Amino acid sequence: MQPFLDAISLGGTYALAALGLGLVFGVMRLVNFAHAELITISAYVIVVTNDLPLIVSFGIAALTAALLAILTELTIYRRLRGTGPAIMLIASFGLSVGLQKSFELIFGALPRSAAVAPWMTGSSEIAGLNITVSSIVTVGLTVAILLAMGFLVEQTNLGLQLRAAATDFKTSRLLGVRSNRLIGSAFAISGILAAFVGFILVVENPQVDPMFGLNITILALVGIVIGGISSLRGAALGGFIVGFILSILNTFLGNARVYAYSYLFLAVVIILLVRPGGLLSKGNEMERV
Amino acid sequence: MNQKLLGLTRFKSEELLGPLATVILLSIGVGAISASLQLAVQFALCNMVMVLALQIFVGNSGVLSFGHGAFAMAGAWISGMSTASERVKGNALALQDLWEPLVGFKLNLYVSIIAGALVGALIAAITGAFLMRLNGLAAGIATFALLGFSYNFFFNNITFGPGSQALPAVPKFSGIYEPLALALLVIVIVYFFNISPTARSLRSSREDLLAAPALGVSIQRVRWIAFTISGALAGISGAMYVHVAGTWQVQDYYLVFTFITLAMLVIGGSASLWGAVVGTLVVTAVGQILLLWEQGKSVLGIQFDLPNGARSLIIAGSLVGILLWRFAGLTGGREFKIPKLTSSKSSRG
Repeated sequence: MQPFLDAISLGGTYALAALGLGLVFGVMRLVNFAHAELITISAYVIVVTNDLPLIVSFGIAALTAALLAILTELTIYRRLRGTGPAIMLIASFGLSVGLQKSFELIFGALPRSAAVAPWMTGSSEIAGLNITVSSIVTVGLTVAILLAMGFLVEQTNLGLQLRAAATDFKTSRLLGVRSNRLIGSAFAISGILAAFVGFILVVENPQVDPMFGLNITILALVGIVIGGISSLRGAALGGFIVGFILSILNTFLGNARVYAYSYLFLAVVIILLVRPGGLLSKGNEMERV
Repeated sequence: MNQKLLGLTRFKSEELLGPLATVILLSIGVGAISASLQLAVQFALCNMVMVLALQIFVGNSGVLSFGHGAFAMAGAWISGMSTASERVKGNALALQDLWEPLVGFKLNLYVSIIAGALVGALIAAITGAFLMRLNGLAAGIATFALLGFSYNFFFNNITFGPGSQALPAVPKFSGIYEPLALALLVIVIVYFFNISPTARSLRSSREDLLAAPALGVSIQRVRWIAFTISGALAGISGAMYVHVAGTWQVQDYYLVFTFITLAMLVIGGSASLWGAVVGTLVVTAVGQILLLWEQGKSVLGIQFDLPNGARSLIIAGSLVGILLWRFAGLTGGREFKIPKLTSSKSSRG
């Protein structure tokens, strides 16, 4: 039971990271590598403000990540809009490295750590099964956020605009979607999602270094492509699948678990060859360049 | 795109001789200053070959590839493994589980570089047969998966290599001339590929994915050819790197290497050979100058006290800055041209 719960909780965490990336990709075709640093800065803030009540500490972290996301949009991505995905991707990589180095100058190269939410590290017995508290909280939290995001995207006006922009940005603008405000909101929400991811990760592993968010971001990126980049649902599903597979492989491969990534990447290539548009795509659509 | 289709169409001697002369003069001139700069020039030439390899595929096809690090990794592996001394391979602690036939496997240094090219081309040909069906971001992520797979394999496998450790005692180039000759050779190869009909078809697919096949271009085929050739060149780049560093380590060919070379290409201007050369030179030069400042030395009489760690921050910042300033790269994707004194037209991109 515990391995499955772990897999679901890791899958959920990856789904949140993928959702943050997918939101921004949907509105401006940007593969935002610097999403990793939004996760990292949240984790740093949570560790540094660990003396404050958790909810306050998390609130500051979410605010910081959202502001940083909006700042990167205003200063860099806005001015690169329309230059093409490759150039924006390289720029976001440069930004990502730049932010990592800034964190190194501010917080030092060595990991910062603090016991965040120590009550979550214990385990409890539910229905005769011994289950860690953190995995229950993580699963509960991700389900709640995914439901909230589902409501936001499916039921609200902002969500309608996000979906419209993700489907066809130009037409959505013609129909009155205010692009700057929408893209700004997408960045802000992705920052808040990154803060949730940062919180979940920092509870599991309280050693925060400048590269803290990199691994999950790269894998979530892989996830949104195999899920289907054209829809947020696909992005979240893809992220979940990657996290879930990775966790299961780690549990069941035994000594061969060091090759978990090899199997994962192999699976990714096969999925992409069978369904180039991702699992949730409708047929074999070709993206116009 | 409403601008002129970028890329070479027919042979113009200045477009080939310009980059060749620039690379020769700078390499020999800068290399003569000091021993540490000579080593820096050698590393820069390895990077340049990698950037040229990326230019052939990424520049011409418009499809991003993160997978070239895997070809360089494999090319470097075969070249390093076949030239490292047998005594070391038989006794080094990191290599005690090495597969027996590899211990006695021995090639001449130059032959080992050809082997690197062949291995790079072979892997690119096999994987390209599948991957070239993909477009856009899916293609980018699939090539990234290739890189991740290779890294994970070599990092953990101790039957075929040192795993996460370093393979020691790989013979080094005797000086600057061997890597320089290889880099010049690669420039010539890339130039002649870029004026070939295959490259022209590939560029047409970069500009319009629907019109090109309508005009009879098999996108998958031309991409596969370019991918294979660029795999060979990436293999050469890795093989050169291993003989400059004198050691093989899988980490050297992973994320930092992949992204710094892609950044060099985009900064210089991915659509042209000259862009690849300029991008490599500019990024290397900026890095070197900052390194000297970080060490408290002066460059051309100018000295800054740079705090430790600020170097990478400034490089990353200038990368983003250049893209904001000129998103088509410093050359705007144009080839080398001798500046005309009488020309009054500005050629901003």
